[in-house]
Amino acid sequence: MSATDLPTFTDEERAGQEERLRKVWTTPSGWRYWTSVNNTEIGLWYGAAAFIFMLFAGLLGLMVRVQLAVPDNSFISADLFNQAFTLHGTIMMFLFAVPIFEAIAVYLLPSMLGTRELPFPRLSAFGFWSFAIGGVFVCGSIFFNAAPNTGWFMYPPLATDKEYSGIGADIWLLGLSFIEVASIAAAVELIVGIMKCRAPGMRINMMPLFAWYLLIVAGMILFAFPPLIAGDILFEMERMFDWPFFDAARGGDPLLWQHLFWIFGHPEVYIIFLPAIAIMAMVVPTFSQRPIVGYSWIVLAAVGTGFLSFGLWVHHMFATGLPQMSLAFFSAASEAVAIPTGVQIFVFIATMLAGRVIFSVPMLFGAGGLAIFVIGGLTGVMVALVPFDWQAHDTYFIVAHLHYVLIGGMLFPVVAGIYYYYPLLDGKKLSDRFGKVAFWLMFVGFNVAFFPMHFSGLRGMPRRVFTYPAGIGWDWFNMISTIGAFVFAFGVGVVVIDVVRPKRKQPRCEQNPWNAGTLEFISEPEEKWGVRSVPIITSRYPAWDQPDLIANMKAGRYYLPDSPMGERETLVTTVLDARPVQCLRVGGTSIVTMVAAAALGGVFIALTFHWWWITIACAIVTLGAILTWLWTGTAIIPETQDYDVGLGLKLPVYASGPDSVGWWAMFITMVGDGTAYASLIFGYFFYWTIHEDFTGGHAGPGAFWPMAALVLFVLAWLLMLAARSLNKANRIRATQGVLVLSTVLTVAGCGAGLAGPYLYSMDPTLFVYPAIVWVVAIWTVVHGAVAVIMQLYCLARSLSGRMTARYDMDLVNVVLYWHFMVITAVTSFAVIGLFPLLR
Amino acid sequence: MHHLFIVMVIGGAIIWALTIGVLAYAGRTRPKPMSVRGASRLIVWGGVAFPVIVLFLLLSYAVWLMPQVRPWLPGAMDGTAEIEVTGEQFWWRILYLDQAGKPAFETANELHLPVGRRTTFRLKAADVIHSFWIPALGGKMDMIPGRDNTLSLEPTKAGIYRGPCAEFCGTSHALMAFSVVVMEEADYLAWRAARTQAPVAPQKTSGQELFFRHGCAACHAIAGTPAIGRIGPDLTAVGERQTLAAGTLSNTPDSMIRFIRDPASIKPGVKMPAFGMLPDGDIEAISAWLGGLK
Amino acid sequence: MKWLREIETFWTLFTAPTVWALHFLICYVAFAVFCAKQGALALSFDTVRLALGGVTVVALGVIVLSAWLAWRQWGFGTDDPPHDAPTDEDRRKFQGFATLLLAGLSFVAVLYVSVPLLFIGACQS
Repeated sequence: MSATDLPTFTDEERAGQEERLRKVWTTPSGWRYWTSVNNTEIGLWYGAAAFIFMLFAGLLGLMVRVQLAVPDNSFISADLFNQAFTLHGTIMMFLFAVPIFEAIAVYLLPSMLGTRELPFPRLSAFGFWSFAIGGVFVCGSIFFNAAPNTGWFMYPPLATDKEYSGIGADIWLLGLSFIEVASIAAAVELIVGIMKCRAPGMRINMMPLFAWYLLIVAGMILFAFPPLIAGDILFEMERMFDWPFFDAARGGDPLLWQHLFWIFGHPEVYIIFLPAIAIMAMVVPTFSQRPIVGYSWIVLAAVGTGFLSFGLWVHHMFATGLPQMSLAFFSAASEAVAIPTGVQIFVFIATMLAGRVIFSVPMLFGAGGLAIFVIGGLTGVMVALVPFDWQAHDTYFIVAHLHYVLIGGMLFPVVAGIYYYYPLLDGKKLSDRFGKVAFWLMFVGFNVAFFPMHFSGLRGMPRRVFTYPAGIGWDWFNMISTIGAFVFAFGVGVVVIDVVRPKRKQPRCEQNPWNAGTLEFISEPEEKWGVRSVPIITSRYPAWDQPDLIANMKAGRYYLPDSPMGERETLVTTVLDARPVQCLRVGGTSIVTMVAAAALGGVFIALTFHWWWITIACAIVTLGAILTWLWTGTAIIPETQDYDVGLGLKLPVYASGPDSVGWWAMFITMVGDGTAYASLIFGYFFYWTIHEDFTGGHAGPGAFWPMAALVLFVLAWLLMLAARSLNKANRIRATQGVLVLSTVLTVAGCGAGLAGPYLYSMDPTLFVYPAIVWVVAIWTVVHGAVAVIMQLYCLARSLSGRMTARYDMDLVNVVLYWHFMVITAVTSFAVIGLFPLLR
Repeated sequence: MHHLFIVMVIGGAIIWALTIGVLAYAGRTRPKPMSVRGASRLIVWGGVAFPVIVLFLLLSYAVWLMPQVRPWLPGAMDGTAEIEVTGEQFWWRILYLDQAGKPAFETANELHLPVGRRTTFRLKAADVIHSFWIPALGGKMDMIPGRDNTLSLEPTKAGIYRGPCAEFCGTSHALMAFSVVVMEEADYLAWRAARTQAPVAPQKTSGQELFFRHGCAACHAIAGTPAIGRIGPDLTAVGERQTLAAGTLSNTPDSMIRFIRDPASIKPGVKMPAFGMLPDGDIEAISAWLGGLK
Repeated sequence: MKWLREIETFWTLFTAPTVWALHFLICYVAFAVFCAKQGALALSFDTVRLALGGVTVVALGVIVLSAWLAWRQWGFGTDDPPHDAPTDEDRRKFQGFATLLLAGLSFVAVLYVSVPLLFIGACQS
């Protein structure tokens, strides 16, 4: 569309538009500030919280280093040391590395994609509050001497030993499960946002690379976190009710936890690493003053890494005594993943070679991080080879390796990102001088601290030791490491000072201070609307290639320049070619997200202390909050069918099915849910492989009741399909009747599902077989209970006239849930009912 | 294995220097930027072709090496072994087996191995996961409750080595190690024979009497005496060992006294109760007697 | 299945890596079950090894096929990257090229994963 086709508004019209937009997108003041759901506020809070957690974990790391500075030291007790290193790892991984990228993504993505908001701002807010509550809970435990003390990997039987691990293990399991919920919420938000909410014209070959990376990372979260959630469930069942999943004496196996933990744990490394590289993929072209060379190669690398990273988990288990063949498969995949990783580094080098490089502070951190990361990558190639890993595994060599990877591959790029994106916060740049001092302190300090660890590891120093004897060749290396750690910490301190120092007197910098080619710098700190109007994109680097774009955007000459209905609006576009298809109204400021997160937090915290009544009360409040949130904020029947979004385009405001973002959110959530479920089924068959007779001579649930449950669930599902069709055909009464019938069948199915294990008196504390059958049955029935709530919700919506033949999003999404429900039910009941007969 | 390490370190250093060299060059101000075609070629050759080939060769070498480092042994499949080691919080129970796989004698925290011959271990865990590792002799193998792992090692040089626990196992994980005495085959056989023979009752002293009176025998066994406790480490010939308390203290009378008086002050989380309530003289007598067991 | 159609070309990007994942999973599960249940199965180690060799060949074949389709989508390389024009055609070419690269990576990764089949001859740990 050429500029002459764009509308021109008078100054008065523009002022009116801006006033209305400002009013709609305003951030409340006073205490209500905290009820804001704007992506800039949520992103900022998220990032600040993650950063504070990082500093806290850093202090714990320093404590560890002081204790190890000299042999036979008694600076802290063995138990406090164990708590300190456990929390250090846990916080860095769960409360810093993953959340900081969610923060950056929530903050940057809307403007980068040229859109107003991500599709579910309230979900972002809910995720943030869950994270904040869970994080404080986990971190705070150390002040009560109750922190987890079994290592961030929580291996049973040490971590299931209540006498040793006390309440710390519950705090870890429940606190982090809660945070994992937040991560999955973020994944849903990011996937839908990136796929469906890009500015018109931003086809997938023009997406900023940051968005490509985050799309892949969010997809990885969806498959990596659920196995850990499944593991957490088994773990808590063992700790709370003595179900022997990991107790070898009763048929359990500690290795199952290791599998589930590392199926999560290794992709996690790439979930942390890729977003940091994504920042580099934005920084490098800007300072090379040219488009990236090898855009498709980056896409290859991101997607390739995403896949391969799921074939690495056993390389954390090379010393567990698995067959050499199994180890070798994982060794091979671990070598293969080095290829896409290398490609990315060379793409950056190639871009720099083909451009004219301005060596600024962000580039300094980027290049320094790369120099560190390459060492970590090379030692990674070494430890991925089984014979070497048998020697290096669980020694300080690994400690060195993982810090080279994570600090070089994640922390340095994140600091580069802080220096690069800071102007977005208040229009001021951070100081070059501080930046350079910080860089050199961090770079030198880091290498002094961590390089010697390679040697102490090769000399046989195991990880996680609170002390070591003098005279076996580890003393000096440890002393040097400790000195380096403090130099490094000073460097981080300089960054913190630079960020928090008052900048009132500093002049404001230009809006696009580095002359970046992508759109994220379009967002002004004072305006909360994201973009003044939603542009049409025709380039990968629109700020470079579309000369009047920014001026026209600011003049409101593109889509959605106004908000006549007082609603927060943004555009939904198609996946591949980003053609506009819907005007989406997103949720605004609300306290309901905070209430829901606090109540859900209450559930997890009360469970930790076994306060059953409080747990139930909090669960009811959570359910109430979520239902209120849905009832008042989603699937609202709009005032008009065709809504004028500007430039002569009319789009629907209400969409259902695959056109709607809600449908996608449900689909994505259920994929994650299905992954957790698959992990439980993996557990079932895992026990089958390790035992001669995996039932241990204990009775099964029989075939009759599981089959009855299976049939009932299938019938309920068929009725849901019928309800959807009837509703579409505008036969509202019939729809309601069928919904009631389906609900009754679902309840019956749930009863039948539990009847098998119950009537055959399967005692889950006796042996692992009854326990795993119970878990599979309960998982399915809980999903059935959720299905019942959804069915009743649809019924209520229909009865209240909020769901009609045309506006049927609720029912369509619930039927989508039911597709997954029926797969779960059929699999569960076939497995527990029929497999024992087959074997 | 040694070769693999050398190859990787030297190769890694060269690759690092080259990559960072190119990066540093790319970051400098140059008269003319490289063409996109040239830069793309760098991605293809440096970022793809080179790593694909190098990694493939390295992987093949390492996978080929695996069965060489941990060779297939008949014992590995049917579970026969020469020595059974069980990890316990925070010490090592060591059971020497005879030809038929039956227990020959038990000891703790100190292994004796013959040089120049492969010895097969059966590895178990009594409570939590531990990991058996003698850095100087070879890679590690975890000890996992409910799973019997097998490992074989071939010492090539006589001497005394240290083996730490390599998997975090609780409060005093850092204080769980054992000594390995690698001896000539003949010496080893002689040592075994001496241990296997019907044990000679040690000389009776007041220390021995106090050992039994204060209940030490409830947990500890000493061959040739009525002490047959199985909860704690076997103390037969404890006077001969390199260290006390699983590699934590040097084997001196003073260490022994300190440990008996208050084990947890030396090894937090240890299961042995403190005997500080006993008169000093009693503890000294018990230590003297134990120290004399050879 | 309108939504499937809309993103069908989006999914083709993932074909080759998915084949890698399946191949990897089959190899791992086959040996995990075989080594755990040796006594109960009337199969020899080499039979399993050979069967997995066959699976490898099939996997490589499917990847080559997807590579050819991608090559076609890319227009048989008539046009060099970057493919950044705002047209349907360039978008398709970009997809083709990226898919082709992923097929290459997956091919190499499948080859890597088949290396153990050559060198390891027993279930031993």
